[in-house]
Amino acid sequence: MTKKHEPGMAYDMKKLNKVFAFLSFLLLVTVGWMFLEDYMRPWKRWQIKAQDIKKEKIKKDILEAEKKIDKKKLAQLEKDLVLNQKAVDLNQEEIDKVNEEIADINKRFKVQTMINGDFNANVSATTFNYEIAQSHYLESGKLKDKLKAEKLLKKLKTYKAGFADSKDKLKAIAAEKKIADTKLLRLAESVTKVKSEMGKMLMKKKLLLMAEKKTDTLTNPVWLLRNAPIIDWLDPTIKIQQVHLPNLKDDLYFQKVPKVDRCHTCHTFIDKPGYEDQPQPFTTHPRLHLFAGSDSPHSLKKMGCTSCHQGQGHRVHDFQSVSHTPNSPEQAKEWAKKYNWHPPHKVPQPMFPKRHFEAGCVKCHKGVEAIPGSITLNKGWRKIEQYGCYGCHKIKGWEHKRSPGPSLTKIASKVSKEFIKNWVWAPKSFNEHANMPQFFNLDNNKQPKHMVKNIAEVNAMAEYLYDKSKEYRPYKKYTGGDPEKGKKLIYEVGCLSCHGVDGLEKASKKVKAYAGPWLQGSGSKLNGDWLVTWLKKPKHYQKDTIMPSFRLTDREANDMTAYILSLKNKKFEELKFEKLDKKVRDDLLVKDYFSAFDTEEKARARLAKMSDHERTVELGRRSINKYGCYACHNIEGFKRPALGGAYPGPELTNVGSKAVHQFGFGHEYDVEHTREAWIEAHLLNPRRWDRGTDKAFKDLLMMPNFHMTKEESVSMTTALLGQVSDYVPPQGRKNLSPEESKWAEGMKVVNHFNCIGCHKINHKMTDEYNDENGENFWGGDILSLYEDDINEGPPRLYGEGWRVRANWFHYFLNNVHTLRPWLKVRMPSYHYTNDQINKIVTGFQYKANRQTFVKRVGKVEWLPGEEEGAKKLWNALECVSCHSGGFNSEEAQAPNLHYSKLRLRPTWIKRWFENPQTIMPGTRMPSFWEGGESLEDTIFGGDPEKQMNALVKYLQSIGYDKFPKGLDKE
Amino acid sequence: MIKEFLNKLADPIISFPLVTILFVLMYKYYHFVGTKKFLVWFSVISLAVFGWACTDPNFLAIILWPDNIPISILVVMLVYFQWLSLYKASVNDQRIEAGDVPIEATPEEREKVWCWPNLVYTELFAIIGCTVFLVVWAIVFKAPLEEPANPTWAPNPAKAPWYFLGLQEMLVYFDPWMAGVVLPVLIIVGLMAMPYIDTNPKGNGYYTFAERKMAIFLWSYGWLVLWIFLIIVGTFLRGPNWTFYGPFEYWDFHKVVAENNVNLSEFFWIKWFNMALPSNIFIREFPGILVAGVYQFVLPYAFMFTNKGKQLIRGIGYIRYFILIFLALGMLSLPIKMVLRWLFSLKYLIAMPEFELNL
Repeated sequence: MTKKHEPGMAYDMKKLNKVFAFLSFLLLVTVGWMFLEDYMRPWKRWQIKAQDIKKEKIKKDILEAEKKIDKKKLAQLEKDLVLNQKAVDLNQEEIDKVNEEIADINKRFKVQTMINGDFNANVSATTFNYEIAQSHYLESGKLKDKLKAEKLLKKLKTYKAGFADSKDKLKAIAAEKKIADTKLLRLAESVTKVKSEMGKMLMKKKLLLMAEKKTDTLTNPVWLLRNAPIIDWLDPTIKIQQVHLPNLKDDLYFQKVPKVDRCHTCHTFIDKPGYEDQPQPFTTHPRLHLFAGSDSPHSLKKMGCTSCHQGQGHRVHDFQSVSHTPNSPEQAKEWAKKYNWHPPHKVPQPMFPKRHFEAGCVKCHKGVEAIPGSITLNKGWRKIEQYGCYGCHKIKGWEHKRSPGPSLTKIASKVSKEFIKNWVWAPKSFNEHANMPQFFNLDNNKQPKHMVKNIAEVNAMAEYLYDKSKEYRPYKKYTGGDPEKGKKLIYEVGCLSCHGVDGLEKASKKVKAYAGPWLQGSGSKLNGDWLVTWLKKPKHYQKDTIMPSFRLTDREANDMTAYILSLKNKKFEELKFEKLDKKVRDDLLVKDYFSAFDTEEKARARLAKMSDHERTVELGRRSINKYGCYACHNIEGFKRPALGGAYPGPELTNVGSKAVHQFGFGHEYDVEHTREAWIEAHLLNPRRWDRGTDKAFKDLLMMPNFHMTKEESVSMTTALLGQVSDYVPPQGRKNLSPEESKWAEGMKVVNHFNCIGCHKINHKMTDEYNDENGENFWGGDILSLYEDDINEGPPRLYGEGWRVRANWFHYFLNNVHTLRPWLKVRMPSYHYTNDQINKIVTGFQYKANRQTFVKRVGKVEWLPGEEEGAKKLWNALECVSCHSGGFNSEEAQAPNLHYSKLRLRPTWIKRWFENPQTIMPGTRMPSFWEGGESLEDTIFGGDPEKQMNALVKYLQSIGYDKFPKGLDKE
Repeated sequence: MIKEFLNKLADPIISFPLVTILFVLMYKYYHFVGTKKFLVWFSVISLAVFGWACTDPNFLAIILWPDNIPISILVVMLVYFQWLSLYKASVNDQRIEAGDVPIEATPEEREKVWCWPNLVYTELFAIIGCTVFLVVWAIVFKAPLEEPANPTWAPNPAKAPWYFLGLQEMLVYFDPWMAGVVLPVLIIVGLMAMPYIDTNPKGNGYYTFAERKMAIFLWSYGWLVLWIFLIIVGTFLRGPNWTFYGPFEYWDFHKVVAENNVNLSEFFWIKWFNMALPSNIFIREFPGILVAGVYQFVLPYAFMFTNKGKQLIRGIGYIRYFILIFLALGMLSLPIKMVLRWLFSLKYLIAMPEFELNL
């Protein structure tokens, strides 16, 4: 160091001070920056903006309220006020006097109240002291104690007397006040009355003006003070909003903690109506009557937000931290620009993107066939049912579903071997509507080296199926028929509720049936005898089929057969499937199967012992096992997974919680790394993940291609995404009530037999069913063909459990009989088990919240003159003109009323009379008593109540006492 | 091309020996390295290379990762202070050779100054400066509260705090028991023992290299190459699954490295003698025990009889000699094990999983 400085100093002091000053300033700036950084939370600006929006809205409301004020009346009132005031002013002297008097009374009242309080306190205290002293005396018996107690008693009595006296005085003063008040009121009555009326008129506006003042932000000094930095912990107006949900849990892996959602810190008005047009985050929930709204079933206070939407509800810092999910790559880009958004770092359940919002329903609503209001989800569930995903993949809660494909145990009698091969190779080449997916000639196995092996497998599978096929002989012979008549019949009896049919494409597409196959090219597939028998009696061929009998006559069955056989696929017929290459077959058996745990040499030896046929059948068996055919079809030698066999595909019960990094994205870099993107892409092309890999033949992906549309894949993804493993405590989820679970069980059966293909069912049991296209209806696919007159279609089952008697319902399902003779569409005869019928009947019963049985009326008890009135009414209303059944031979337009005694419930009949249109919109039944007024005022004095009661009784009196015979029993 | 070459070069198999050679060269030519001219040129070239490297997105991503910023600062500071020590040592050594005293021993440097304000005041500056720096750092590079820790979804790569990354790198070559317990204990014991082993009075209060070559060389090798360099490798070059990634390489989660490591006993019995492994584990592991024993216990004795060894014993005595050699061998076991792994895919010299004892 140079010797510039003073002795003992290494530095220049002045310089050091300057450095110190500079550093101190720097620290000050940094600390300020720190506070600012802490204060400027991204969410705050949304709340400030929300205040502005609220202000705008209140202003609008004020204008609205002003408009509602009757200006004329107000002006009149104001004039009255001035006039009345003048009149009152004349009495001013007297008023002043009364006011003075009142002031004096008030003063005296106050003084007396204080005295009264003193007495009251003393009475209480002395009572306590006296009772203690008395009890001491009673215990000790000493004179000293006795004297003390007596002294206290005396004192207590004085106080009590004083208290009673003071209370009396209070009452007297109060009476005086009342007189004075009345006097005053009378003197100014005319003014007060007008004022109160004006107050009532202006109340709303006044309240709104007050509310508007509260929305001031930056111009309001109090607001500024409350939200000022550093002191804003005291009582800020801008603060994090949260709901605490002890009934729902967030899984923090080591512990489950009550859910806390803070979303409405920014989504300020999510639960408040009136902000529907605002942009995000200020908009009102679009389905406020179902979600977030305070009186909705999923209110914000009860359910929060992330219980359905997923995401990180407790994190509120900025747009990113709550893990919003964009709905499209474009939106992702927009968000990245606007909010610096990027895919969340390590969030196991980010928010569902908008198109999959309804996935959130699944975790709480279990055990039902459809959820009212969940439009995409219901579609997805239906698609899962149509394509039979649950056949190969275990999904808990789907085990009861029917097998997605037909039984193949007697296949040799139905189709040719050649057909099986060509069909399995490419189902869509035979039938473009086929639900059977394609396994071969796809993305990952269309190279020649794979193709030869696949051909060998298909040959072998057909061989196996034929080899194991059981003997079957149709019991009817096809004798030829009129295809045109057949086509008409197919349209009329209701085949279209389950099948699409070529030649009726327009109608078929309208119905969108899915329970049965679309009939295309069937003439190139089936033979006449088999088909006639199948149409007459489906159970004859397959015991567990859901295809019902339509009680066709032989003529009808032959005509239908003639039409179906006329549907040919010439191109497909000419296809010749390649012959089995025996070397390829043997190689496959040895390399892919026999040598799995053995050397190749031993495997060859094993093969050598087998005959040629045995080898083919063995490869067939192995291939059926490999591709999982048995998961959808009943095949001899295999067990369907739902009945205890092995599932070919992975379980999907919790696929919505499967970690994203566990999905095999392979080399598909254009697929977004999210769960939903993978599932959507997978459904569209399940084999794409094999691209760019070099895999052994047996390791190739095997999920078949259903050639579905983008829309289908999205709705199915919604349903699958909902399959999460989140723990929802019992008190936090939808628990079906005993009634609801009966209904759910019933609907399972209803869905199993595809009753909903024809019948529309309402989910909600209310008295009013106006909202025909609303969210609460299910099924009725075929009704779209009867838009002109809905009464020509299958009857809608609205409130069916209330309409019909349980014992009739039970009988009818087993013994279908004609109720509506004008209908061409037929109620088929199914083969239910008794358990299934009971489930249907009780399901409807419980949903309608009605007793199972109502008493049958033995003999009708008429009131005096009632019977005559009823008959008169019956004639006057001309009931028979439509309900002709059993009365005359004219064509009926309405059900036979002789059955209604055993079929309908009297309470329902009466409700039906009141207003049939509100129960069944579009019904032909006229409303005779609409609005509680009768059209016939000559009978019973026009009293609708008496008229309806009488008619209900009349129906009971004319009713048959026996159920009609079932049509299929005749 | 250059990037690919650098990626290959950065692989510890190459970079570790390279750094070792550079380390030796640095001390051999410290008169050259310890000049201001060298520092200027070194800085200019490094900055240019760094600037060029920053045009690569993969390089930039790993450099700008908030967790890695301390290491970047550490590298810069370390280079500077290392150079400073060499510079000062070089000047002093030249003066000593010329018969002069070191700069620190000149009368003007030995003058005493007041503790206040010369020391205390400047310390306060340092405190304020550090506070400002840390606050700004905290604001600029946010450390937000993240998602709850998920035991089934650990971060990949899962990295220790930066100051332990050297230890974590050792886990690649040693049994956890060795890398996590024995070697760290040896490091601590060694650091504690140092003042007692080193009896050389020279170099107290001034920079020098010539007067205590072995002490500085041994220490610096352990510090710079075995500790700092491994931290740098662990920070910048170890990606998902603790696989090596070059500085310009994308951290592909799926990268697979072909490694199949074999124990010495398997080499010995199966490969060389073509026989089954003996069932007695001590016989089975006898070659490894022998090698390790010779290394740790026979080598010190053998070294005693070399000129260097005799000279050392003369200087510090037998007890210090043995402790020093024991610690030095322990330290050198790390590079030796690394080389054995890279050259022969050697897993363990002694593999006794039965006792959880692997070496």
